[in-house]
Amino acid sequence: MIPSFEAAGEDCVRIMDIVSQLQEQVNAMALLAMNTFGTLQRDAPAVRLSPNYPEPTANASEETIGAEYPKTMSAALVEAAKKFDVLVTALPLSGEEAQLKRIAELQEENKAVGLELEKQLEAAGMLFFYHTGVDILHLLVCL
Amino acid sequence: MAAATSSSYPPPPPYYRLYKDYLDDPESAPEPPPPVQGTYPLFGASYTTDVVLPSLEDQGVRQLYPRGPNIDLISLASDFKLELTTLNRDLQLHILELADILVERPSQYARRVEDISLIFKNLHHLLNSLRPHQARATLIHILERQIQQRKQAVEDIKRRREEAQRLLKEALQTLDGHVA
Repeated sequence: MIPSFEAAGEDCVRIMDIVSQLQEQVNAMALLAMNTFGTLQRDAPAVRLSPNYPEPTANASEETIGAEYPKTMSAALVEAAKKFDVLVTALPLSGEEAQLKRIAELQEENKAVGLELEKQLEAAGMLFFYHTGVDILHLLVCL
Repeated sequence: MAAATSSSYPPPPPYYRLYKDYLDDPESAPEPPPPVQGTYPLFGASYTTDVVLPSLEDQGVRQLYPRGPNIDLISLASDFKLELTTLNRDLQLHILELADILVERPSQYARRVEDISLIFKNLHHLLNSLRPHQARATLIHILERQIQQRKQAVEDIKRRREEAQRLLKEALQTLDGHVA
């Protein structure tokens, strides 16, 4: 099964193609890393940089509250990396030549089927509909 | 003319004078110029009409994954996925390294941050080079769907024609039955 994830930040759920999902996942990882380091930097206690200044007073009570952030954030980072790997394995990749060959085959088949369709239409006396589009034909046929 | 193209507020091109008698005689005015091909300069920068993804070297970014057949449009699918997963793992390691550096030697963060951004650029470049492949896959899908629709239409027409002929025959027979 191909995993499908919704486009981020939208009201309606829309499933993206796999390449866009991969790109979104890369951006999400960057965002997570940025938030992690930003939070750590913001909540870090003061550090003594030079012997000329006294040791900063470490308020232990406030710092312990920030102890759970690194755990949840790093867990989220690892989660995101795993999701990326899952998406990569779900990539339906094939060689370029195989694709081009398939396209050529399909074009041949399409031409043949088109000729047959034209013949049938002619027999039914509705040739002009072929040139205006097969959808109108469907409308007529389904009446 | 040189002043017109290189001054900061250039006047509009003077070609409008050529179209003075356009309403009376449409042939007297010159044809519109043909579309631009190749590279063209625009506001001092050079652009190209060739729709191709510029390689990382063109953007001045070091390339982390090896060159060769796997870069040219995914001739070996497994290599591509392998590259992506390798880059992902490298990214995680670099993030960890950055955290370590911040603990031990905080002043040397810049190089690590640069490495991380390099990995991200490589990742995005790889993903962008997937787009032509995706376009071809979409084309294949569209062709298959069109073939299926046409076959369906052929079947429908055949069926309806036969039914119409049958009805006509039946009608003729009933008419003959009444008259005879």
